Amino acid sequence: MLLPKFDFHEPATLEEACQIMAEYGTRAKVLAGGTDLLVDMKKKLSTPKQVVSITRIKEMKKIETSPDGLKLGPCFTVADVAASEAIVKRWRALCAGAKALGNPLVRNLATIGGNVVTASPSADLPPSLIAYGARVVLKKTSGERVVSLDHFFLGAGLTEIAPDEILTEIQIDAPPLYSGAGYINEGIRKCRDCNVVNVASFITLDGPDGFIKNARIVMGCVGSTDLRAVSAEKLLVGEKPSETLFARAGEAAMQEAAPRGSAESRASAEYKKDMVGVLTSRTLHLAWKEALGH
Amino acid sequence: MSGYDVIGTEAPRIDAPDKATGRALFIDDMTMPGMLYGALLQSPLAHARIRGIDTSAAKQLPGVKSVVTWEDAGLVKYGVSPARYDETIFCHDKVRHVGDNVAAVAAVDLETALEAVSLIKVDYEDLPAVFTIEQAMAEGAPLVHDIYPRNISAEVHNEFGDVEAAFKECDLIKMTSLVNKRQDCAFIEPQGCIAYYDHSGTLTLYSSTQVPHYTQRSVAMVLGMPIGKVRVVKPYVGGGFGAKASANHMELAACLMSMKTGKPVKMNFEREQVFYHGRSRHQFFHTMTTGVKRDGTILALKHECYMNGGAYSSFGIATVYYAGSLLGGPYKMPNMKYDGYRIATNLPACGAQRGHGGVIARGCWEQQLDMIAEELGMDPVELRLKNIMTAGDITCNDLNMSSLGMKECIEAVRDASEWKNKKGKLPRGKGIGMACGFFVSGAGYPIYRSDTFHGTVVIKLTEDGGTALVYTASAEIGQGSDTAFAMIAAEALGIPLEMVRLESGDTDFGVDLGAYSSRQTLMTGHATKEAAEDVKRQVLEVLSKELNVPMEDMDIKKGLIVFKKEKPDFSGLRTRYIKEHRGWVDNPGAEDELSFREASRIAYLARGSIVGTGKYKPPELGGKFKGAAVGTSPAYGCSAQIVELTVDEGTGRIIIDKMVDAHDCGRAINRTSVEGQMQGSLSMGMGEALFEEVKFDARGRILNADLAEYKIPSALDMPPTEVIVVESNEPNGPFGAKEVGEGNIMATIPAILNAVYDAVGVRIYELPLNPERVHKALKEYKQKNKI
Repeated sequence: MLLPKFDFHEPATLEEACQIMAEYGTRAKVLAGGTDLLVDMKKKLSTPKQVVSITRIKEMKKIETSPDGLKLGPCFTVADVAASEAIVKRWRALCAGAKALGNPLVRNLATIGGNVVTASPSADLPPSLIAYGARVVLKKTSGERVVSLDHFFLGAGLTEIAPDEILTEIQIDAPPLYSGAGYINEGIRKCRDCNVVNVASFITLDGPDGFIKNARIVMGCVGSTDLRAVSAEKLLVGEKPSETLFARAGEAAMQEAAPRGSAESRASAEYKKDMVGVLTSRTLHLAWKEALGH
Repeated sequence: MSGYDVIGTEAPRIDAPDKATGRALFIDDMTMPGMLYGALLQSPLAHARIRGIDTSAAKQLPGVKSVVTWEDAGLVKYGVSPARYDETIFCHDKVRHVGDNVAAVAAVDLETALEAVSLIKVDYEDLPAVFTIEQAMAEGAPLVHDIYPRNISAEVHNEFGDVEAAFKECDLIKMTSLVNKRQDCAFIEPQGCIAYYDHSGTLTLYSSTQVPHYTQRSVAMVLGMPIGKVRVVKPYVGGGFGAKASANHMELAACLMSMKTGKPVKMNFEREQVFYHGRSRHQFFHTMTTGVKRDGTILALKHECYMNGGAYSSFGIATVYYAGSLLGGPYKMPNMKYDGYRIATNLPACGAQRGHGGVIARGCWEQQLDMIAEELGMDPVELRLKNIMTAGDITCNDLNMSSLGMKECIEAVRDASEWKNKKGKLPRGKGIGMACGFFVSGAGYPIYRSDTFHGTVVIKLTEDGGTALVYTASAEIGQGSDTAFAMIAAEALGIPLEMVRLESGDTDFGVDLGAYSSRQTLMTGHATKEAAEDVKRQVLEVLSKELNVPMEDMDIKKGLIVFKKEKPDFSGLRTRYIKEHRGWVDNPGAEDELSFREASRIAYLARGSIVGTGKYKPPELGGKFKGAAVGTSPAYGCSAQIVELTVDEGTGRIIIDKMVDAHDCGRAINRTSVEGQMQGSLSMGMGEALFEEVKFDARGRILNADLAEYKIPSALDMPPTEVIVVESNEPNGPFGAKEVGEGNIMATIPAILNAVYDAVGVRIYELPLNPERVHKALKEYKQKNKI
């Protein structure tokens, strides 16, 4: 497979990049790591005439941590997310997703921004990001806006980003005290796999060994976007954590999953639903352990 | 001690430095001046009549040098077995599977060639297609080939002994089945080639192939050339596993277009085309019925097998025979009946893959043997040991186990895995399972009927006397055969490995049937040994005359001449040698032993270039019945394996914790390579057991024609392995050696099946054991048993 012909832009500043996007709109695509875009272009699934690399723009690779939270440039690589001590300390589930993505060669190139923008419902980073309540900054020549990741995905490959916008930052707040999160992806093999189901769960307790104050459960691979298991979350709030409770939450989550399965896909709808149940309770268990300080 | 100086060691592979540093040349690294790039037009439809092909637009595209279809290529049929030649380079009447070959283009660059391919217009009339065995065998089903009624492209029926009579004597009769999924060999290097038809009328084809010899014959036959005008050269090859064991359309198309243009033409398969070319493991549907006595004695096996073969025969006629014959051992069994059918469908052709024909049959039977053991209240290891064959036993279908360390293999894995402490005693979710298997060390006959030698080898000493050059047409495809033959040459000649240089994979070097059926170590090994002994004899003959010492009183060991009796005065020879090397700083000292280098220089001075030749073909082998040629071999390698694993009962996912593997390779020529083959086949067998499956949509298109979605094991999936080399000293092998490449994969799938049962109490009769399948089986089991 060969890449089709295209014009390549490599702006040095964000302003320049925004101008290029403003000029070309839907004819242009932003290139970060290229592990999705270039593959799609080779397969002729994506046919931009203009490719705009943002990797030379310095702030696109930034990581800023503060007591309030984390700000990441979109070109921060998945390998860097997996290895970042700052991230593993407070956002362990995000690291788990990064470690699960592709293989070392892919992780060295793939970026957090790309993993979000590609909007694949089986992607490894968005479930944890949504569970942590992450937001993204979308910028264009005339200004910028901040969008919660929870409302960012519109369908497989579809997002809130307008043709002239660039995702320039991912923001994650510091988890409150007595919080924890867990991420598990289930596939076939241990590396370079494509997920069959992936789930991220996040809970906050009202005190050490307390009741659940807040819960977010995000299910991947079971809809056209990542889905929140709202009824399972409701079921958890106000309850004392326990394996029985987590199993019930898993069952509730199964009812909210809307997987499409066929002989052609990676697994049947029935299996995916069952896995939502298993992974929900297992990720809640991980979240609980972390909330308890384990 | 073995008494050998070179073989049996853990020699570093002679190709390792070049491969590790990226210097080894593969097809993709090669270019030639003026080279054109070729591309194939392949069918988007599974079954369609070709009403017309319009190449005019493609031909007019600037940069296009050649556009060819069946009208240019002719319709000479070829294939693997002459009894089933059913392919032409390009389709002319109809296409039979998605990816079937319709036309080819050569152009100044690949972009132009691909664009030209897109400009070729084919007028197809869609025909009803058959994809499954049920569809293909249904009354009135469309025929893939008119020559195969009911789409049966090959069938085998044989019976040894009297199975029905034996069943009457049995205390327990057990029937089970197993079905696998179509595999892909999933080698790292896709097929590629460069064809160059030069001004002298010689066609040289550089190709990523396992079989330069068969490819040479196919090219010559299909393109109507004398064999002597066709040379096939194999550079380094990134794996084959069976799918590269015959000529392919791309090679033939490249040759044709080079002949038309007079320029070198390079072509490569994309990964997707590797899948559409296929020729890997079939999908098998096995049903087996085994009868045993109460004490575990196996009396009879009745076996029926249907194989989904795809659109062309490829190796299929051999596959359908192997699927039956390879159950003759390694257990004593007097009665065996087999009915096998290979069915043509509108899918890419299946062919041979590591463990050709026998792997799924072995999986089915060894799982069944465990079930029988359980019903008899016997330990599975004991059941096997009770029935095990030993050296000298002959199976009911005439396979002669001239050496067989099967019992030693079983005992080795049993002890190394602490089987007795673990079997049935591991916590729920964890399991241990074992199985055995064996395979041929080369087929008794070439694929085409012939009295040809299966391998010839030439060894020439460099005229300075310092190096032995080994020329063999055998195929190093990553398995380590070059190193093995260099070691055999060194051992037989009595010189260190460093004094041997080897060139291989070129049909100009002689005849060698190539890397398939685990044949090279035994067969090419014999020829290499004979050539080395020929050279040694010539050197010693000259020495005998010069020194007046009888031949039999001399030998060559470790690069030195050994005088078994009184050491003669060889100072005259040494003086002659040193005189020729004035100024050299490494001349032998007065006290040094007479070296091989000196002796072979003296031999050259006496006789000219010293050239030795060797050859091998198997002796007459047993079996006079139809199809006896498939399965009979000069020797059989065998293995036993024990697998420990964990089943995640929530997700159904299996994690292999440990694999213990013992293989009898007769004698390890290079221990490093033997262990590498064992580990490699554990990985391959594990992938086949757990992950791998080529998936199709309802129109015969492959859904996972890439290595992201067709899942072979990653390094992370490989568990710790313990590989134990068992040496039985095969009488028919060079230095006692026989196969390791394929026999070792036999036991892996059933050992995993048996371990899953030990872990969770569930028997599964369909592969692969992916999480969904295991989860479903567990769910059904729990519902049935109300857990």
